[in-house]
Amino acid sequence: MRPDDRKYLSSHEWIKIDGDTGIIGITDFAVQELCSGNESDLVYCDLPEEGRVVEAGETFGEIESVKAVADLNAPLGGEVIEVNSAIEDHLEILADDPWERGWLIKIKLAAKTSDALLDAAAYEDVVAQEA
Amino acid sequence: MRDWRVIETWGAPPGFNMGLDEALLLDADAPPTLRLYTWDPDTLSLGYFQRWVDVPGTARAGAVVRRLTGGGAIHHVNELTFSLVTSADDPLYRGPVPESYARVHACVARALGDFGARAALAGEGPLDSDRADTGMCFHASTPLDLAWGGRKGVGSAQRRTGGRVLHHGSIKLGTSPLEGDIATVAATGATATPEEVGRALRAALAEAHAIAFAGGEASPAERARADELGARYTDPAFLRRR
Repeated sequence: MRPDDRKYLSSHEWIKIDGDTGIIGITDFAVQELCSGNESDLVYCDLPEEGRVVEAGETFGEIESVKAVADLNAPLGGEVIEVNSAIEDHLEILADDPWERGWLIKIKLAAKTSDALLDAAAYEDVVAQEA
Repeated sequence: MRDWRVIETWGAPPGFNMGLDEALLLDADAPPTLRLYTWDPDTLSLGYFQRWVDVPGTARAGAVVRRLTGGGAIHHVNELTFSLVTSADDPLYRGPVPESYARVHACVARALGDFGARAALAGEGPLDSDRADTGMCFHASTPLDLAWGGRKGVGSAQRRTGGRVLHHGSIKLGTSPLEGDIATVAATGATATPEEVGRALRAALAEAHAIAFAGGEASPAERARADELGARYTDPAFLRRR
C-alpha cells in the first residue's frame, strides 16, 4: 500500500497537503515505468522556476529517462514557492525515495481539492489496471 | 483485429513532420496511427533535452529541428523514419517503457530480416558504433537498441503525454556523413527503399499485434494542426533553447 497521507493523480503524481502548502512528487510506479528499476536510466528532470503559477492538471515539468520523455502534472494549482533543486543533479533520489526526499516542488495552494485527486486505495486500483 | 491507420508522407518538410506527430499525440480522438516518412531536405533532429552546442553536426545538415522525443541527435537521410502514436493503454505500450521498446523492436527486427539485416537487441556492453562527443543517437547505445554487425542501426525514443504515447523510430538504410561507422541495411549488401522497409514494418506489426492497417491520409484538420504546431520545431528560439 502506498502512503495514505497524500492524494494521487492517475498520471502518477502525488500531492501532500501541509496547511496552505502542497508538496508534489511522482510515485514509485512512475519511476518504475520509466526505468524498470535501473535508476541510472533517469537522465534529466526539468522543473519550473519559483514564482510560476500552475493550474490543477497543468504540466509543470518534464522528466526524461534513457528512452522516454514524460510530463509532470500538478495535482492542484498554486504558486511554486520551492523547487527541489537537488533532484536535477541527483535523479537517483527519485528511485531511492520518491515519497520524501524525492519531492519535486512545493506550491502555495490556490485550492485544496479537485475531482481528479485519488486517495491511496483508488490509486492502487489505477496501478493494478496498468501493471 | 484492431484497426490502425497508416499515413505515408515521403519527402515532407521537417517542421511538418514533427508537427504532425505532435498533432497526433495531442489528439485523444485520433485513431491509432503508424506514420512512415522521409524528410526533404535532409534534416538533423536534436533530442528534446539536448544542448545545441553539444551537437557539432548541426552546421552540416540541410535543416535542423528539435524533436518532442528525447535522446540524441539523428541525421534523417538514407533512412525510414516511423512513428507509432496511440493511447498508453494500447497493448503495444502497456507496462514499463523498456517492455514497450521490446515489442516495437521485435517488429522492426523482423522487418529488417526481410532485407538481410540480422538485427538483435544490443545487450550489455559497448557497440563498435559508440563514439564520444558527437551528440548523435547512433553513436550512443543502450541494451535496448537494435544492432547488427556490432553496430547500432535503429534509433528510438518516446514521448508520453496525457495518456498517449509517441514512439519515434529511425531505421538506417544507408550512410550519413554525420553518422559514421553505424549499421545500415546497405552494409548487409542489400538495397531497400524506405517504402519497401515501411511495408515490411507494417506487415510485422500487423502480424505480431493483430492490427488491421488501413491506408489513409492525415485529415485536413490534422494537416492544418501540423502546420500550426510545426512552426515551432524550426524556430531558432526553440532550437537553441538549450
